Amino acid sequence: MTAAIETDELTKDYKVGFWRPRPYRALDRLTLAVEPGEVFGFLGPNGAGKTTTLKLLMQLVFPTSGRAAILGQPVGDLEVRRRIGYLPENPYFYDNLTAEEVLTYFASLFGYSAADCRVRAGRLLDEVGLGAERRLQLRKYSKGMIQRVGIAQALVNDPDVIFLDEPMSGLDPLGRRDVRALILKLRDRGTTIFFSSHILSDAESLCSRVAIVAGGRLATIGRLQDMAGVEIHGWEVVMTGVAASLLATLGARGIRATSVAEGRYTFELPASARPEPFVAELSASGAALLSVSPLHTTLEEVFVQQVAKAGSARPGAL
Amino acid sequence: MNVATLRRIAFAVFRESVRDRVPYSLVGFALLVMGASYLIGQVTAGQDVKIIKDLGLAAMSIFGLFIAVFIGIGLVSKELERRSIYSVIAKPVRRSELILGKYAGLVFTIAVNVAVMTAVWYLVLGYMSWMETEAFKQSWEAPATDPRMLVAVYLIIIQLMLVIAIALFFSTFAEPLWAAVFTLALYVAGHFSADLKHFDLVVGDSPLRFITSGLYYLLPNMAMFDVKNAVVHAQPVPPAYVGLATAYGACYIAALVAAAVWIFGRRDFK
Amino acid sequence: MQSARDRWFPEVASPVDEIYFSSGEALGRMALSYKSLLADVYWIRAVQYFGGTRLDMKNGVMPAAGSGRSSYDLLYPLLDVTTTLDPSFNIAYRFGATFLAEGYPNGPGRPDQAVALLDKGFANNPGRWQYLYDKAFVYYWAVRDYRQAAHWFAEAAKVPNSPAWMPGLAAFMMGQGGDRRSSRFLWQQLRDTAEQQYVRENAEFHLQQLDVADVADRLTTLLKQYVSQTGEHPTSFEPLIRAGWLRGEPTDPDGVPFTIDSTTIRARLDRPSKYAPLPEEGVPSPPDSAPQQAPTR
Repeated sequence: MTAAIETDELTKDYKVGFWRPRPYRALDRLTLAVEPGEVFGFLGPNGAGKTTTLKLLMQLVFPTSGRAAILGQPVGDLEVRRRIGYLPENPYFYDNLTAEEVLTYFASLFGYSAADCRVRAGRLLDEVGLGAERRLQLRKYSKGMIQRVGIAQALVNDPDVIFLDEPMSGLDPLGRRDVRALILKLRDRGTTIFFSSHILSDAESLCSRVAIVAGGRLATIGRLQDMAGVEIHGWEVVMTGVAASLLATLGARGIRATSVAEGRYTFELPASARPEPFVAELSASGAALLSVSPLHTTLEEVFVQQVAKAGSARPGAL
Repeated sequence: MNVATLRRIAFAVFRESVRDRVPYSLVGFALLVMGASYLIGQVTAGQDVKIIKDLGLAAMSIFGLFIAVFIGIGLVSKELERRSIYSVIAKPVRRSELILGKYAGLVFTIAVNVAVMTAVWYLVLGYMSWMETEAFKQSWEAPATDPRMLVAVYLIIIQLMLVIAIALFFSTFAEPLWAAVFTLALYVAGHFSADLKHFDLVVGDSPLRFITSGLYYLLPNMAMFDVKNAVVHAQPVPPAYVGLATAYGACYIAALVAAAVWIFGRRDFK
Repeated sequence: MQSARDRWFPEVASPVDEIYFSSGEALGRMALSYKSLLADVYWIRAVQYFGGTRLDMKNGVMPAAGSGRSSYDLLYPLLDVTTTLDPSFNIAYRFGATFLAEGYPNGPGRPDQAVALLDKGFANNPGRWQYLYDKAFVYYWAVRDYRQAAHWFAEAAKVPNSPAWMPGLAAFMMGQGGDRRSSRFLWQQLRDTAEQQYVRENAEFHLQQLDVADVADRLTTLLKQYVSQTGEHPTSFEPLIRAGWLRGEPTDPDGVPFTIDSTTIRARLDRPSKYAPLPEEGVPSPPDSAPQQAPTR
């Protein structure tokens, strides 16, 4: 089965400096493949090369070496572009046009009939929640509204593969929830989703596979559950109304207690200790249980680890 | 090359320009010409019509120039700076179609602009003519609404098409400010190309002569498109001259647009 | 007009303005392809300057003593720049021709400048016989060189499209020189054909002046008759009025009285009459003398 997206030793050097330009390697031999229908998270700290990768895939910039392909064709292929959508980071459109006009214009570039363009524009604007403001000029839009327009224009052609660069940027919690729901809906439709972000919680809740890049290099790639680990290394129990006398003894048993607020405490139990007896013990003395959750390696920890491993020195051009 | 795509991009440019600043220039022009025709009556000792003719042509040229330069630069330079080009590139549009579409769109905008200005100008001239006595009109070199002046308007449009091509070319690789400066500089320098030709008489046989000759042939001769004085004085402009100027302009435009397409097609969009 | 002038341009008499006239050529370069419009600006300045100076003269305002300037001295530079910027600016040449040659208070009295401007006009527009005609007129009226005038009328006749009466005029000028009939004819021509209101009004004025000169001639004739008849040498026209030779005191159309020049026994008219000094009958240059050159600046 052909990968939806694949790169092979994709490399990009920039020349930096005016008088004696030195090459700066923004991306170093990136090789990865994304299967059709996946929700693929492309993660990394700022400046890691995420946006560069996306720009290479969109052929906004040209690679120094290596290749990239989408749906089996080299990037830049015009036919392939009919089947993909792209949301740039911090998108900007034409101030003087209305949202409806921008979307209709973009739709028209695919060759749809004028009526079809309008229908699509209307439908998408409703879908991203801008139905009421469709006739307003974009100069009057807030950042979040522009972001929604960006998402809408990425979907105008019902793409098979969609590339999102920081899709949650500029959105309030309601907006983010909407985008998450949208991504899941797209996944259910079978769309391949490639999105880059530096917000890990989004990736955790949405992605099936992730790649982490740092310093221009691919640090790790794999299924989320493999990386983040299913192993439980402890329990977290939240209770309230705990007697002060009990607290003192817990420390000796290797249980860490943190006061949260107003008599509420968070207890960290080591993996060896089962939470049930612990809860029963505290309940017996009058405490009430609020929650129990398993602790396992978070994506954040993996992330931090990988980034640290990549080190501060960026690979130079050879 | 998809003509439909070109058309759509061109129309988008036209719409953007119309919403941007172009109508202000039309209003400004109309006010200028009408206001001047009203105010100058007293002080020109009977030369009002000539002056309005000169003023109309000059204003068309200048307003057109500023639109050509500033919107022309904005077409590519500003779009690159603001990154609005990112979403367009991902669409099934070739880079060459993008540049050509933008060029066509701005040329269309300018043509419409000049056409409207010309109509207003002729209206004002017609009104001035209507207000004058027959006897006085006998003394004019040419009728107030002389249709032969359209030749000057036509050549102004050709010249503006060249300026847009220059602006487009520079904006494919230079920042907006520099692109504007280079374009205006080339416009001004193009008026002095005749001097370069004479300069090599001054310079004699020194190697400097090759530089000045080279520059003379390289610089676009802007003065060639200026027949304003001739039409105002109803001096004939031979069709051969008009044809030559058109062909000259077309060559330069083709070269510049081709270069712009080439540069635009190869560069990274940061 | 004065208020329009003040609104558009500051007082022309400031020294800073001298710099404006450095060179019509230089201005032409800076104007790129907008020379015609700049020519129009300078034309407006010229007209305003002329009108303003005329008004000043009427009100007795003169340039500051010791400033080295005289009234109207910017008129030629203004017209020169105008015509350098737009070499086909017909009106500028003809206006300049008429008014540069006019003596005070109507103009600077510089026929040489008028000729220079007309030469430039003809060089730039070789089909315009009117400039040669105007030049001949300057020689006739301002310089009183009838030989030159005849020469230039003949040159004008050589230009294709010149009117049919031109050769006749040239011949007449050669023969008669500066008599009042030809003067009247020329001024009438100018009045009837000039495109410019100023020029027409000027021509009308000179025709009236010729009429007043006719009256002066008749008075002189009458005076001479009286002297020969009575042997008296009157110093005023009173005796003639008392003797019934004149009905009333002879005046010009504005009421300024004629006086008598006792030494030559002629009627004369002096300032403040606007028709003074009256044009004299000219004497044709002797046939064997060479045509005079126009005085250089």
